[in-house]
Amino acid sequence: MRLEGVNVSFRTPDQEVQALRGVSLDVGEGEFVALLGPTGCGKSTLLRVVSDLTPPSSGVVEVRGGPAAGARHANEFGFVFQEPALLPWRSALGNVMLPLEVVRYPEQQRRARCEALLGMVGLSKFVNRYPHELSGGMKQRVAIVRALAWNPSILLMDEPFSALDELTKNQLQDELLEIWSRERKTVLFVTHNISEAVYLADRVIVMSPHPGRIVAAIPIELPRPRAPGVRETLEFVQHVKRAREALDRDARPSPRCATACCSGWRRRC
Amino acid sequence: MLILALGLGVWEALVRYYDVPPWLLPAPSDIAGRFVKATNLLYHTGLTVLEALAGFAVSAVLGITLSALIVHSRFLERGVFPYIVISNAIPIIAVIPLLTIWFGYGIAPKIMIASIITFFPIVTNTTRGLKAADRRILDFMRSINATRREIFFKVQLPSALPYIFAGFKIAASLSLVGAVVAEFYGSDRGLGYLVITSATQLRTDLLFVSIIVLATLGVSAFALFGYLEKLALRGEQAQ
Repeated sequence: MRLEGVNVSFRTPDQEVQALRGVSLDVGEGEFVALLGPTGCGKSTLLRVVSDLTPPSSGVVEVRGGPAAGARHANEFGFVFQEPALLPWRSALGNVMLPLEVVRYPEQQRRARCEALLGMVGLSKFVNRYPHELSGGMKQRVAIVRALAWNPSILLMDEPFSALDELTKNQLQDELLEIWSRERKTVLFVTHNISEAVYLADRVIVMSPHPGRIVAAIPIELPRPRAPGVRETLEFVQHVKRAREALDRDARPSPRCATACCSGWRRRC
Repeated sequence: MLILALGLGVWEALVRYYDVPPWLLPAPSDIAGRFVKATNLLYHTGLTVLEALAGFAVSAVLGITLSALIVHSRFLERGVFPYIVISNAIPIIAVIPLLTIWFGYGIAPKIMIASIITFFPIVTNTTRGLKAADRRILDFMRSINATRREIFFKVQLPSALPYIFAGFKIAASLSLVGAVVAEFYGSDRGLGYLVITSATQLRTDLLFVSIIVLATLGVSAFALFGYLEKLALRGEQAQ
């Protein structure tokens, strides 16, 4: 996956907002890349550009050697969002079946495939439950296997765990790593949680807002497979520190919103 | 139920005690007697229900179709939707004579009125419902190349169902209002006709009978759609 000089701007009634400026990024096949940055830095836009949902204003987007649209038509992308975004009138199984109906997956195999996937994330007993009968973590598990159902090669995850409590989050992170190590998908994982990015990724891309751009790329040299204990090692903490410094370095407010944006990451201004 | 019985008892007693003339306020027993004796009541009721149902059905089909088009087309949304909103501000009663001039005294203008009066709540509710579909689900569907048709039938329409039913519930009682009001003007049958004639002839007991039938119809229509809604939305509860 390759992005080169990608710009995206949106026109609002009173001004033009530049969501991404000059973004260039190379992601290898099977690589786990985390996009880290504060709200409004264009991380989500980047996912939308990669998956051909938002056209770039300029620049090149190439996925598996072709245009992004081609990859979308080949059903290469599996999307997971911050909220599970399940259909409330379908059971867990029905929700996972949805994409299979759309991508014309062989009909006889749909059910077995979905049941196997739900079993993989420990939901065998809940296949016939409706979303409102599932906990937040369970719903997000359903959303993740929904994005895996037709075996796409690229997983696009937009802060998938940020609405979950700490314990569930850690559990799901480990489950995700396990799935990834088994199926070797390319993962673009958007987050604003530094340690989550470091724990999961091969590489952390640090982004900065106004306009959204890449300010640093930090390779994570922690051994795999990663276990929760990694979080307490010195190496892990050093990586987190580097990522935080990269974020802070670029947190100087742009003159336009020196007062308006003085919050969160921009604490130093 | 007890309160109702008590109220009727008091009503009966007061009417009897003060000897209220029946054209002013008939006793419940008189009304009940009239109810049994009114031979054509079933015919009039059937006709009005038919008009209301037909108007409602036309509205439901046209309304949902139009909403689907509005959601898929910016042009229609900008060009047609405002007119629908404006047209809703026209007092429908003023239009009845015009429709009668054009289409005569038969059943057709009544159906039209019932359909016009129900069109607005159905269209606005359906449109709102279709637009209420989860944006991320729509993104998800687009990212796997779902066709507009698939997105509409698998996501947008089902998520609009609660809104559509809300519109139907309002429209159900409105369709009765439309049919009855249309019958006020130039008609020789139907519950609206019954109301007008019994009022002008001071047959107050018959007037009460008509009102009770209409009230029952309205409540049953509302209850029916409430029941259908529950059936259709089984499984997903209020989230």
